[in-house]
Amino acid sequence: MKQYAYYPGCSLESLGKGYHVSALEVAGALGVELKEIEDWNCCGATAYFPVDELLAYTLTARNLAKAEKTGLDFVAPCSACYKNAYFTNSYLQKDADLAEHINYALEADNLHVSGTSKVRHLIEVFINDVGLEEIKNKVSNPLKGLRVAPYYGCQILRPRKDHEDVENPQFFEGLLSTIGAEPIDYASKTRCCGGSLIITNRKAALDMVRILLQDAVNHNADVISTTCPMCNVNLEVYQNQVNREFGTQYSIPVMYFTQLMGLALGIVPGQLGIGRNQVSGASMLAFAQNPKQERNL
Amino acid sequence: MVDELSFSYEVGNLMYASHGEPITNCLQCGTCSGTCPAVEFMDHSPRQIIGMIRADLKEEVLASNTYWTCASCYHCSVRCPAEIDIADMMYALKRYSMWKGQFQEGLIGPDFSEAFVKMIVNSGRSFEPLLAATYLPKFSARDIIQEGLTATGLVLSGKMPLLPKKIKGLKKFQQMVRRIIPIGEPS
Amino acid sequence: MSERIGVYVCHCGTNIAGIVDVADVSKWAGEKLADKGVVIARDYKFMCSSLGQELIQKDIKEQKLTRVVVAACSPHLHEKTFRNACKGAGLNPYLCELVSIREQDSWVHTDKVAATAKAKAIVSGGVARVIHHEALEPLRVPIHPDTLVVGGGIAGIQAALEIADAGFRVYLVEREPSIGGHMAQFDKTFPTLDCSACILTPKMVDVGNHPNITLLTWSEVQKVDGYVGNFAVTIKKKPRYIKTEDCTGCGICWEKCPKKVIDNVFEAGMGNRKAVYVPFPQAVPKYPVIDDVNCTYYLKGTCKACEKFCPTNAIDFNQKAEEITVQVGNIILATGYDLFDARRIPQYGYGKLANVFTNLEFERLCNAAGPTGGNIVLRDGKTAPKTVGIVHCVGSRDKNYNAYCSAICCMQSLKFAHLVRERTGAEVYNFYIDIRTPSKGYEEFYQRLLEEGTRFVRGKVAEVTSVARIPEEEGKLIIQVEDTLIGKQRRIPVDMVVLSSGMQSRHDSKDVAKLFGISCSADNWFIERHPKLDPVATMTDGIYIAGCVQGPKDIPASVVQGAAAAARVLGKIQQKEIALEPVRATINQDQCSGCRICNNLCPFNAILFHEDKMVSEVNPALCQGCGTCVAGCPAGAISGTGFSNEQILSQIDGLLLLNISHAAVPVE
Repeated sequence: MKQYAYYPGCSLESLGKGYHVSALEVAGALGVELKEIEDWNCCGATAYFPVDELLAYTLTARNLAKAEKTGLDFVAPCSACYKNAYFTNSYLQKDADLAEHINYALEADNLHVSGTSKVRHLIEVFINDVGLEEIKNKVSNPLKGLRVAPYYGCQILRPRKDHEDVENPQFFEGLLSTIGAEPIDYASKTRCCGGSLIITNRKAALDMVRILLQDAVNHNADVISTTCPMCNVNLEVYQNQVNREFGTQYSIPVMYFTQLMGLALGIVPGQLGIGRNQVSGASMLAFAQNPKQERNL
Repeated sequence: MVDELSFSYEVGNLMYASHGEPITNCLQCGTCSGTCPAVEFMDHSPRQIIGMIRADLKEEVLASNTYWTCASCYHCSVRCPAEIDIADMMYALKRYSMWKGQFQEGLIGPDFSEAFVKMIVNSGRSFEPLLAATYLPKFSARDIIQEGLTATGLVLSGKMPLLPKKIKGLKKFQQMVRRIIPIGEPS
Repeated sequence: MSERIGVYVCHCGTNIAGIVDVADVSKWAGEKLADKGVVIARDYKFMCSSLGQELIQKDIKEQKLTRVVVAACSPHLHEKTFRNACKGAGLNPYLCELVSIREQDSWVHTDKVAATAKAKAIVSGGVARVIHHEALEPLRVPIHPDTLVVGGGIAGIQAALEIADAGFRVYLVEREPSIGGHMAQFDKTFPTLDCSACILTPKMVDVGNHPNITLLTWSEVQKVDGYVGNFAVTIKKKPRYIKTEDCTGCGICWEKCPKKVIDNVFEAGMGNRKAVYVPFPQAVPKYPVIDDVNCTYYLKGTCKACEKFCPTNAIDFNQKAEEITVQVGNIILATGYDLFDARRIPQYGYGKLANVFTNLEFERLCNAAGPTGGNIVLRDGKTAPKTVGIVHCVGSRDKNYNAYCSAICCMQSLKFAHLVRERTGAEVYNFYIDIRTPSKGYEEFYQRLLEEGTRFVRGKVAEVTSVARIPEEEGKLIIQVEDTLIGKQRRIPVDMVVLSSGMQSRHDSKDVAKLFGISCSADNWFIERHPKLDPVATMTDGIYIAGCVQGPKDIPASVVQGAAAAARVLGKIQQKEIALEPVRATINQDQCSGCRICNNLCPFNAILFHEDKMVSEVNPALCQGCGTCVAGCPAGAISGTGFSNEQILSQIDGLLLLNISHAAVPVE
C-alpha cells in the first residue's frame, strides 16, 4: 500500500466535500493510503500573501513539518494548497535564511522543517505513482462517450517548477483517456477561473468563469472536470450567477477528477459526493452504468 | 546611502525575496497585459503599473485597483520575456498598501485579507461565513440576496458547515504566529 | 655575470602619476635594485610615444642593456610597442617585460602611499623575472596557398569568389545538394526589394564555373588535422547516386520519379519534391541527388524509373560515399543559422492552428517558384487572406527562449507587410516591441510602410487563439495583445498570422566547433577573436568565421564578413609564411611519465602522444601558451616558454621584496 501524508485543506471539508470523499474512495480502490496529517492548519491560500509573506510561508511550513515527521510525501488535492506547499518547500531548501526564520517560528510549536518531504498534487500521485496502466486495469466502467473538458486552472501549473510545459500540458487528458472518457481539446484549459476574485471582485471573476464555460460548451463538453475546489466552486456554484449577469443559460455539470475516476472504477455516485451539486450531474450520470462496488470507508 | 527611498526602490526592496528578475528589467513589451485574464477590470494594465512604479508615481499606483484585481494566476510571470515575477509584484503592492492603509475606496480585498488572517490566527482553519462580513456590506441588495440563496443551497447540500472548527494545538500555533508578527494575545 | 637591466616608469600623463609617485619609484629602482642588475632607471611622461621609445633604444645602445623592464599600462595595449622598440635597437624583443602599474595599481587604488609602495613591488617583480627571460625567435611556418570554405551560403560564396578571383584555389564544402543557403529560399530582399534569387544566382553560377573553386556539395567535413598554414582536412562526399561526369542536368529523372516527398528543407515543409531531386531549379551544381531514405528502390528494391529514363545512363544506385583529404592553409567557416522552432511557444498556435505560418514558410509562399506560385494564400491553397497579422520577436528578446535580438526580423516583418499589401491588398497589422531599422535605407523603408497604411501595434503578442468571444471573431485567428501605446488589451481578428521566428545557431554548432578547434558562445554562435575589433578571426590561428554563424545579421553584413575573412586569408597567403608567437609550452620528455593528463586538458588539441616513446609532445604551431598543461602536469614536466616556473617564482620573490605590511601603510 502506498502511503502519503494527506493534506485536505480547509475547502475539502466544506465547499469541496465531494472532492474529499471521492479522493478517499478512489485512493482506497487504487491501493493508496492517504493518512491525514495530524491537526493541520489552513495554508492561507491566496489571502496571506497580501498581508505578510513570511507568515504565509510559515503557515504552510507547519504542515510540511508535520508531514516530514511521518517520513511520507506531502499530498494536497487542492491546487492552491499544493502551490503554496510546493514553493514553500522549494524556497526553504534553497534559502537558508528563510528556513531559519521559519524554523524559529515553528520552534514555538515544537516543529522543524527541512524540506525533505516531497510535495505532490493528488492527480499526479495517481498518474505517476499508481500509473495509468494500473488504473486502466482497475477500470470496470469506462466512461465511453463522455466528453470531458479537463480544467487545469492555474495554480497546479504556474509558477513554473522545472522545464515542464505550462502552456499545453496533457497529463489530465491522459488520465481521462485512461478511464475511458473523451477529453476535449479547448484553449482555455489553463486560463484562470478568478479564484478568490469571486469574493473580492465578483464582476471580474464571473467574466472569467463565463469565458471558461463558453469554451467548454462550444466544444460540446458533457462535463467539466477540475483539480481544485476553488475552481470547482467558481465554475459550478456560481454558474447561475453567471447566467444572471450575462443572460446566458449554462447548465454544465462540474466534477472533480476523482469523482469521474470513482465512476469509472465502479464506485456508487452517492459515495463520491455526486448528487449534492448546485448544477445537477444527472445528465452525466447516465455514464455511470455499472456502479458495482459499495465501499465502506 | 540613500536619504529618501523612492517608491521604485521600496517596491524593489519588497521584491527582494521574489524569485524573478527586478522590475528594472522590464522592456514594456506588454506580454503580461496581453495575457492577463482580469485586465479588463483593472484601472491600469500590469505593464502600466510597472511603468508607473519606475516613474515613482506612488499615489497613482496605490490608488489604482489593479493590484487588488490580480487573481495571482501567474500567467504573466511565466510568459514575461524578462523573467520578472509580476504576480509576486502584485502581492508586494498589496502588502505595501496594507501597511500604509492606502488603497482605493470600496475595495473588498484589503478587508477580506485582514479578516482572513485574523480568522486563521484565531482558529487555525478557515470558515467562510465569518468572512461574509467583509464583503456583504459592499454588495448591492440584490447580490446579498443572491449570495444568501447560494449559501443556503450550500448548507443544504452539506458543503457549508454551520460551526467553525478550531485546531487542537491552537495555543502553540498562535505562539508560532506571534514569532513572525505580533498579532493575537500573548499567552 | 649579471644582466644589465633598464627600468622605465611611465607617468601616463596623470593616469599613473596622479596616484603613484613615479619619480620615487624610478629612483628607488635605481638604488635598491642595483644589486639585482638595474643599471639605469628613468621615469617619463609617455613611454609609448616615439620619444619614450627612443629613450629606451638609446639606453640599450649606450648602456649596453641586456634586459628592459617598462612599468606602464597593461601588456594588452603596449607590449608589442616596447618589444618592437627593443628589437629596433638590436635587443631580442622577448628580453623586454612590461609590468602594469596602471590597470593593476593606479587605476584601482586611491591611497597614494600604498599605491606607490605597490608600484615598487611590481617593478621589483618585473626585474626579478626578466633576468630569467630567454631570447626567443618567433616560429615561422609556411602557408599552404589553398583555402577551405565550409558553407555555401552568401557569406561562403562571397569568401570563395574573392579568394578564387585573386588567383588561389578554394575548396567550397556544402552539406546540401546545392549552394545558395537560406538566401536562395527568400523571395525579395530588404530594403531594395530585389528578387533574392536574381541577385544570388549570378554569384552561384560564378562559383560553379570558376576554375579556382573546387565545389564539393552534398559533402561534409569529417576531420581536421594540422595547424595554421598546414591543415589536412578529410571531407566525406555523400553518394548522390548520380554519375556527375555523365549527368547533363536535363531533369528527366525527377520528372519521371513517382515518389513525392515533403520538402522540409528548401520548401520549409510547404511543398513537395521527388525522391530524386535538385532543391531548386537554379541549383549549382545542376546534378540531382537521390534521397536514399525515401526512394522506393532503397525501401523496397523496385521502381528505378530514373534509371530507365536517364538518356545518359547517369544513375548509379550502388555509388558509395567517398572520403578525400585536402591540404589547405586556412579555413573559413560560414555555416549559417537555423530558424527558431515556433512550436516551442504553444500559445502562438504554430503547428496547431492551420493558418499560422513561420517566416520561412511565408517566404516560400511569396516566392514565384514556390509551392503556390507566389500567391499569398491560406493553407487551403486558394483563399487569399483579408487581414494578416505579423508577429515580431518570436523566440527572440525572450529569456524563456533566446535572450538576444535576431537583428533582421523587424526588417523582414516590414518586408512581409509590404508584400502582403502589394499582392493582396489585405489589411496588415505588425505587432512589435521596438522597430529596429539601423542600416542604410532601413528607416526609409519603415517610413514607406507607414505611408502604405500598415497598422502598427506596439505590443508583444500574448496569444494567438481561435476561441471566439463575439460573432466578429468567429472563424478567425484572434491575436490577443496589449496595445501599449494606448494601454488597452486588444483582440484583433485576422485570417493569417506570420511569425517572425528568430535566428538560432545550427543544431550541431557545438560539434562543428569542436571539429575545428574553436569555441562557441553560450548561445552557440561561433566566437570571434574580438567582438569590436576582430569579428572574423577566431582564437585559433588559421580558422576564420563569416556570416550568421557568428551571430544574427543581414545579407550585406554577411557579405562584408565573407569578404573580410577572404582578405585576411589572402593576406596570409601573400606572406607565404606566418610568424607564430614563441610563447609556448614544451614538455621535458625525460620527465614525462606518459600519463596523458595534459592531452585532454589542452583546449587547442595541441598535444600529441607518441605511442612508441610513451611521451607527450606539444605542437608549437597549435599551442597558444595558455599554461593549462603546465599547471596540470603532475610531474611538473611541462614548462611554458615565457611562463617558466623559474620566471614566475622569481617574480613572486621580487614582489615580496618590499614586505609591505598593513601597519606600515595608513588606511584611507
